[in-house]
Amino acid sequence: MKRAIRSVAVTMLGLMAFSVVWLTWVQTRAGAQYRDDPRNVRAFEAPAGPSRGRIITFDDVVVAEDDDGTRRYPEGRAYAHIVGFDSSSAQSGVERTRFAALASRHDGSLTAWLLRLLGADLGPPDVRLTIVDEVQQAAVAALGNRTGAVVAIDPRTGAVLAYVSSPSFDPNDVVSGELSPTDEGAAEALLDRVADHVLPPGSTFKVLVAAAAIRAGLNPDSEVEAGSSYTPPGGGMPIRNAGGEGCGGNPISLTRAMVVSCNTAFARLAVELGGDYVVAAAEAAGFNKAIPWETGAVVSSIPTGGELQADPPALAQTGIGERDVRVTPLLMALIAAAIANDGAAMAPYVVDSVVAPNGEVLESTDPRVLHRLVPRQAASALTEMMIAVVESGTGSPAAVAGIDIAAKTGTAEGSGGPHAWIIAFGPADDPTIAVAVVVEGGGSGGRVAGPIAAEVISAWIEFAR
Amino acid sequence: MTKRAEVALIVFAAAIVAVGTALVTLTADDRITIDTAAAAAAHLAAFGGLLLAIRAWAPAASRLLLPPVAFVTALGSIEVFRIDRDLGRIQRWWLLLAAVIATGALLLLRKPGVELLRRFRYLFLAAALGLLLLPLTPSSWPLGGATVNGSRLWVRLDLGDRTLSFQPGEAAKILLVIFLASFLADRWQALAAMPRSVGPIRLPEPRQLLPVLIAFGVSLAVLAYQKDLGASLLLFMTFVLLLFVATDRLTYLVAGGVLAVGGAFAAAAAFEHVAVRVDAWLRPFDDFAGGGYQVAQSIFALADAGIFGAGIGNGVPYLVPAAATDYVFVAITEEMGLAGGMATLAAYAILIAVGFGIALRAADRFRSLLAAGLAITLAVQTLLIVAGVLRILPLTGITLPFASYGGSALLSNLAIVALFARISHEERS
Repeated sequence: MKRAIRSVAVTMLGLMAFSVVWLTWVQTRAGAQYRDDPRNVRAFEAPAGPSRGRIITFDDVVVAEDDDGTRRYPEGRAYAHIVGFDSSSAQSGVERTRFAALASRHDGSLTAWLLRLLGADLGPPDVRLTIVDEVQQAAVAALGNRTGAVVAIDPRTGAVLAYVSSPSFDPNDVVSGELSPTDEGAAEALLDRVADHVLPPGSTFKVLVAAAAIRAGLNPDSEVEAGSSYTPPGGGMPIRNAGGEGCGGNPISLTRAMVVSCNTAFARLAVELGGDYVVAAAEAAGFNKAIPWETGAVVSSIPTGGELQADPPALAQTGIGERDVRVTPLLMALIAAAIANDGAAMAPYVVDSVVAPNGEVLESTDPRVLHRLVPRQAASALTEMMIAVVESGTGSPAAVAGIDIAAKTGTAEGSGGPHAWIIAFGPADDPTIAVAVVVEGGGSGGRVAGPIAAEVISAWIEFAR
Repeated sequence: MTKRAEVALIVFAAAIVAVGTALVTLTADDRITIDTAAAAAAHLAAFGGLLLAIRAWAPAASRLLLPPVAFVTALGSIEVFRIDRDLGRIQRWWLLLAAVIATGALLLLRKPGVELLRRFRYLFLAAALGLLLLPLTPSSWPLGGATVNGSRLWVRLDLGDRTLSFQPGEAAKILLVIFLASFLADRWQALAAMPRSVGPIRLPEPRQLLPVLIAFGVSLAVLAYQKDLGASLLLFMTFVLLLFVATDRLTYLVAGGVLAVGGAFAAAAAFEHVAVRVDAWLRPFDDFAGGGYQVAQSIFALADAGIFGAGIGNGVPYLVPAAATDYVFVAITEEMGLAGGMATLAAYAILIAVGFGIALRAADRFRSLLAAGLAITLAVQTLLIVAGVLRILPLTGITLPFASYGGSALLSNLAIVALFARISHEERS
């Protein structure tokens, strides 16, 4: 009898052990397949948790909030690309990157319960952006319905002050289902032209060629060869200036070459400096590497120094920001900001802090240096030249009354007409804002993009005062 | 285990109930209600009282018995309350009543010991059969049968403005084990002696087998009529295993196995409610909206849980039909994860091992068979429902001992604990 009891007992306990093994397998290995089964509605059936926090601008304008369980975007199109949307099927922008931070920290766990007993506020926190609504709205208004992007950065910290991409969309339509983010027709409006779209920089790239020249020993007063036409060694299409004329003398100073945006001078300079020098300056500025950015940014690219050295016509065109040079407006703004900040580029960021409902700061972003573009002296030399561009050159439409602005314009070749570029910062003696503007197919950089930059800078100066 | 450790574990189980209940109301309503105190107090009173009763009337009993029971009861009561608060509140009263009845059993047996049960075995058999037949009484009677979920295994007591339902089959299972242990303790030699043979198969005298055959024949017929697959299987397996234990003859095990397999195929062919269960087991996703829904939802619940689960109050256990009864193990696992599921199974393993240990050390054959029969009942019932919800076997609707919602189940299972304590005590006195 005892032997039989033992064998029954062992069998029963063996079956219990088998159940444990089976349970482990179901919950770990087999689980994934069932979790993704479309008939598994558990995720949607989960009890609606406490509402999610708001997203607010630096100057306390609410740009995303909960309205009876769904997300609402009071500012609509103006913030569509940076704030993004949080619909039942998809998220984008800060709504996606800060999804977890916006959730209530009261998850029903014992830890949360104890934290609350200790007086912690576990309500859904707000995400505070660095964007200043007045600057953002000025940028939106200035760009209007033209295709392009405007981005403004505080060069001292890397805080993004404005972030506009056009055409835009209304995130409320995504939440309501009127607009499907996967529709092909929506792609143009959903594209983030600040960080996810590259264009040739045109003459704004001359700033980096000038940086390479300064590194090679030139200064703003150094004389450079300029003519009405320059044919690089190896032939190909001769480089000409806008309007087909000369640059007001030959040779001219490097400053003069910047002021009139002299193509022949910079093409020749690029070839004479060599591919390695030009590419090194570009890579020091952030080309060919990932720029850390809240919502992710595509890499701006330039061929290698060796490739360009072997192909002087390509190198000549690279020197004026054409051919295979591709850049995001975000990186162009970062270049302007680095020059404005004595040569050091601060890592760009858009989330200032995460704040609990009781005002407690749960998390805040500390500014940090991303990389050094040029040494301090080179930065002040570039600033000097860029001030001259606004005072007496192509950048004059970017002038703002009462303060010195430093800028460089660009008019890059585009299939639907030239892309109008400008990078600018001010006040030039103690810069607090750096801007990049591009209007795709917009025309001349100075005339089209310049006034937009001026509007944005004015709005910021007004706000900061 | 020291006495102090036993007390500490009982208090710990009550603390689990308090924390779990608090989390349920905190998650849903963001506040702690009186339920937290009530649930913990009921748990402490029931198991504390039972502990005192065992100390008083079965002091030499194993101290390993009560803590695992208190633990699984704690997890079950949290999930029952989480799924349906009213059921959870009712369950507290059932727990107290069950503890009172178990205490009463210990009090009754304190002088005569379990020997008392042996003397009245035919009374128990009659009572068991009567209880099994009770649900078949017309529903119009004041104490009448009732059909729930297609199975007629309930009795509803009409008390005027409200009714009280219970499953008499739960009590019948203990009574039948008592009868069988007593019967086999006296007759085992006759059953083990196999004077006849048909070819190579040796058989006992048919005369000896008759009472046994009648006992389970009648109970199985009644249960088949009541369409309660789980209880039917449980009783059958308990009979067969106990017969094997008493006689040491594999013949009974083999015959039982053949009967079980043949019976299963016959049942699947004859009864539609059995065929649906088998289909749901083999292909739950083929008839997702129909017969397979419960099994499929259970699989989703387990898959979503992961190692630590959704957290108490954060899952959606109510998506599985019969979550508080048949599927309470899935509810525990969904919200407390693989960790909670394993802890639950470990507690049952301890309890079952302790039960068989008591059977091995029992003072005489009757006590040994009684403890073994009760341990087999608990083990088979736990395995049937756990294997059913995990889809190792087809689901046979039956409660998970101590954890599922159900008053009658709790009453009879705590009575089993009282009997274990008494048999364990008598081994040393």
